[in-house]
Amino acid sequence: MSLIEAKALTREFDDGQVKALRGVDFSVEEGEFIAVTGPSGCGKSTLLQMLGALDRPTSGTLLYRGQLLSDHPNPASYRAHEIGFIFQAFHLLPTFTASENVQIPMFETSRSASERKEHSVELLKLVGLDHRLDHFPSKLSGGERQRVAIARSLANGPSVVLADEPTGNLDSENAHLVLDLIIRLQQEQGRTLVLVTHDPTIAARASRTLHMRDGRIISDKSAANL
Amino acid sequence: MTFFSVVVRGLLRRPVRTSLTLAGISIGIAAVVALVGMSRGFEKSWQVGLKARGTDMVVSNMGGGLTPKPFDASFRDRIANLPHIAATCTLLIQLTSIENSDLMILSAREWGGFSWSNLEVVSGRMPRDATERAVVLGQTAAEVLKKKVGDPIQIETAELQVVGIVKGGALVEDGSVILSLPILQEILRLQNQITTIDIRATPGTTDQQLHELSQQIEQLIPEVRAVTVSEHLSHSEGFRIVRAMSWVTSLLAIVVGVLGVMNTMLMTVFERTHEICVLLALGWTRGRIMRMVLYESALLGLLGGIVGVAIGAAGAHLLGNTPAVRGLLEPDLSVALLGLSAIIAVGVGVVSGLYPAWRSSRLTPSLALQSG
Repeated sequence: MSLIEAKALTREFDDGQVKALRGVDFSVEEGEFIAVTGPSGCGKSTLLQMLGALDRPTSGTLLYRGQLLSDHPNPASYRAHEIGFIFQAFHLLPTFTASENVQIPMFETSRSASERKEHSVELLKLVGLDHRLDHFPSKLSGGERQRVAIARSLANGPSVVLADEPTGNLDSENAHLVLDLIIRLQQEQGRTLVLVTHDPTIAARASRTLHMRDGRIISDKSAANL
Repeated sequence: MTFFSVVVRGLLRRPVRTSLTLAGISIGIAAVVALVGMSRGFEKSWQVGLKARGTDMVVSNMGGGLTPKPFDASFRDRIANLPHIAATCTLLIQLTSIENSDLMILSAREWGGFSWSNLEVVSGRMPRDATERAVVLGQTAAEVLKKKVGDPIQIETAELQVVGIVKGGALVEDGSVILSLPILQEILRLQNQITTIDIRATPGTTDQQLHELSQQIEQLIPEVRAVTVSEHLSHSEGFRIVRAMSWVTSLLAIVVGVLGVMNTMLMTVFERTHEICVLLALGWTRGRIMRMVLYESALLGLLGGIVGVAIGAAGAHLLGNTPAVRGLLEPDLSVALLGLSAIIAVGVGVVSGLYPAWRSSRLTPSLALQSG
C-alpha cells in the first residue's frame, strides 16, 4: 500500500471556470523525496494543499495509508500529526520567539509546557539554531527563519514534509544551506518529502520528479531515469 | 509556553488598541459600580438609619416619591394597641433644600418618641420641649450647612435656632436636620399630618409575626403600607425608578463596551487572518482557534472589569462626598456588587468575542500557502 495515492484528482474554482487540477494520478511511497516542478499556475501549490488536507478536491480520491482523506474525521489532527509544512514565506508568528514558534504545533499533542520547550530546543539544535532560541523572527536572517520553520515542521514527528518553494525567498548561499538541511534531515529520519520548486537544480536532487503543466502531471520520472 | 501565554501575546500585539478597548470596558463597568452602588447605597443608608432609630417596621405611604406622602396622625391610635407593637413614634420627614444646600433630610419627630433615643449630643443640647423653635443637626448636616450651636437656621419661611449637634449612629441620621414634630407641622402648615410611623416590635417577635402585623395594619388603614425596615424603600415607586434608571444607564454603558470589544476582536481576527490560517495549517483545531479568540476577549473583559471596579469605587466615593449627596447616602460597594460587576465585565468579553471567534474558525487554512 502506498503512503499516498491520488486518483483522477481535480480541483475547480469559480464554478468550474478555473481548473487548477485536471485529473491527477500518482502515488507516493514512504521515505520518498519527490520534487514537483512546473511553471507558475500549473497546479503545484493546489496539489500540495490537497496532500496537506488544507483543501478538498472537487472530484477524485486521495488516500493516505489507504484511508480516504476527504472522509478523515479530523483533518486538523491529520495536519498536526502526519504533515509538516515548510512555506516559501516562512510564516513564523512575529510575536513568538524561535523556540515558541517551534512549540506552536505541539499544542495539539499531550506534551506538557516544559516538554514542549525541551523538544523545541532539541529541534532547534538539530537545525543549528540552539543559540537563537529566544530571538524573535525579526531578529533572524532569512536563512535562520527558514531553519526555524524546518524545525517547526518536524515538531510532531510527521510522516510527510510538504515544502512549498522553501528556498524561494533566500539568497543562493542560504538557499543551498537550507536545501542541504532539508534533504539531510529527510534522509536521516527517513521521512517522506514532497517539495514544490521552480528550480531544476533543486529538483535534480530529488529521488523522483513530477512535472506539471495546466493542472496535469505530464511526466513522473525517478532519479535513475532522469 | 502555555496556551494562556499565547492568548496574552495576542493582546500585546497592539498595546495601544488593547489599552483603548480596556478603557472603554472600564468606563462601562465603572458606570455600573458607581450608579448601582449609589442607588443601593441610598437604600442601605435609609435602612441603617431606620435601624439606628430602633425601628422594626415603618408605616408610610411611599407612593411615587422618595419621601412618603403625609397622612393623618390619628392613624397611629388605630394601630398602637395591636399585638407585637412595643412602641410607636410619629414622624414628618421631608427631603428638601435648606438654605444654600442641596437636598437634605428634614426629620421632625414626636416629642418623647423612641426615635429621639439614638441621638447622642456632641455639642450643645437637645430641644427643651416640643414647642421650642429649635433644631439639632446631625454631624454631617452641620458640616454641610456650615452651622454651629447657636446659629440661626432657615426652614422654609421660619427661622429656628441650632441648639445642638448630634451623632445618630447612621449616615442618614448624621445627615439630618432634626426637630420636634409640632414645629415642622406648623411651618409646613401640615397640622396633625405625619408621613411615617416608626414601630418598635416587642422583643422576640418573629419575621412571620411581623409579616402578620403588617397585614393587620394595612387592613386597618388601607391608605398606608406597613413594611419591615429591609423592605421599606423597595416599596417606593420613585426609588424603583431611580434604581431602574441606574441599571438602564449601566446597561447602555455595557452595550457600548460590548461593541468596543467586538470591534477590537473583529479587527484582530481580520488583521490576523493570515496568522490564524497558518495556525490551522499547522494543525490547530478550529475549536482551539475559537478558544484563543474567546479567551483574549474574556481576558480583555476581566482586565477592564478590574480597572472599571477600581475607577467605579473611587468615583462612587467622590460622588458620595459631593455636597449634593453628602449625608444622604454612602455608596454600597459591597463585595457582591464588585463581584457582579467583574462577572458582567467577563460576560461582556465573552459575548463580544463570540462572533469574532466564529469568524476566525471559518477561515480556510489554504490561505496560509499564499505568500504574506
